[in-house]
Amino acid sequence: MSQALREFLLKKAKLEKLFKWGVRWSLWPVHLVTSCCGVEVAHTSGPGFDAERWGVLPFHTMRQSNVILVEGTITKKMAKVLKMVYEQMPEPKYVIAMGACAVRGGLFWNSYHVVQVDTVVPVDVYIAGCPPTPEAVIRAFIMLHNKIKGQPGPYVEPTKVDLTPYLPPPPKPQPKPMAQQAG
Amino acid sequence: MSAKIPPKCPPPADHPLLEKLKAALGDAILNHGVTPEGHLCLMVPPGKVREVATKLKELGFDHVLSLSAVDYMAEGKFLVTYVYASYLNPDLKNQLLHVRAEIPRNDPKIASIADIYPSADYDERECHEMFGIWFEGNPHMGKRFLLDPDCCIDEKTGKPLYPLRKDFKVPDWGLMG
Repeated sequence: MSQALREFLLKKAKLEKLFKWGVRWSLWPVHLVTSCCGVEVAHTSGPGFDAERWGVLPFHTMRQSNVILVEGTITKKMAKVLKMVYEQMPEPKYVIAMGACAVRGGLFWNSYHVVQVDTVVPVDVYIAGCPPTPEAVIRAFIMLHNKIKGQPGPYVEPTKVDLTPYLPPPPKPQPKPMAQQAG
Repeated sequence: MSAKIPPKCPPPADHPLLEKLKAALGDAILNHGVTPEGHLCLMVPPGKVREVATKLKELGFDHVLSLSAVDYMAEGKFLVTYVYASYLNPDLKNQLLHVRAEIPRNDPKIASIADIYPSADYDERECHEMFGIWFEGNPHMGKRFLLDPDCCIDEKTGKPLYPLRKDFKVPDWGLMG
């Protein structure tokens, strides 16, 4: 009986879809607050923006959560901690690099003691900004939703605005001084 | 070298603390000046740093606010700067006292004042890591405190490199990282 049930669950019932649905609406991020981006994440989870509407529950322990939010500069000493935290998390697990420092070093570009996050752990979503707004953090989580669903890409397409009527006309090309001398 | 080297001590001026300090320290003061913020600055010989620290503690300076170094690579010197301040003595309120000492760059050694002023301990350890200055008497010399143990080490010789020295080469990440 149990064998038949197992066959049914794996083949007939679309368990994979159910599993993805469950993961999608319970993204529990563990915070790695190393800089000021942690303040914005506090706003994200607060009553103003309330990211729990999308199932984002801020959590403290890495063993019970599935997303790691890297909020800030990662030094070489902290990179070992990041790797350790990442390896303790159960599958499936996702990484969000938040802010300019986590994405590419930011203010601490070319520093002797700073690493980029994607050289340590695989990053799923990047959030640009210094620091990013809470809306950007929520958008990153919705991008992660789409990635789990199998449709990666931005959730909101940027609206194209034609600004040419409001801009000054382009300058006319000047004749080259070299050509004048030759003439 | 056409670059102008900044003076190691600001120009001298009158200061209310100066006579009191001259009476206490005597010939330990090589040179003195007043910074634009109005703080007194003293140059002392590097061998008398402990003696100066002991006398300043008797005068009422109860903590070392900061301890740092400046790398004068063209001259081959380090300038170690101690900033003394006081919480409790009302006469020394709003006063910062800069004490500076020059040491040679190829053999940077200076006596530790961590046993006289415990607040200077962490600063000495940081200064040792960043500039390679050996503070004789501090038990934590030769150990890593802030830097990663695998970072800033010369690959050929295995010796530590000091990242805030002027001749340290920062990693080149290129334009796009």
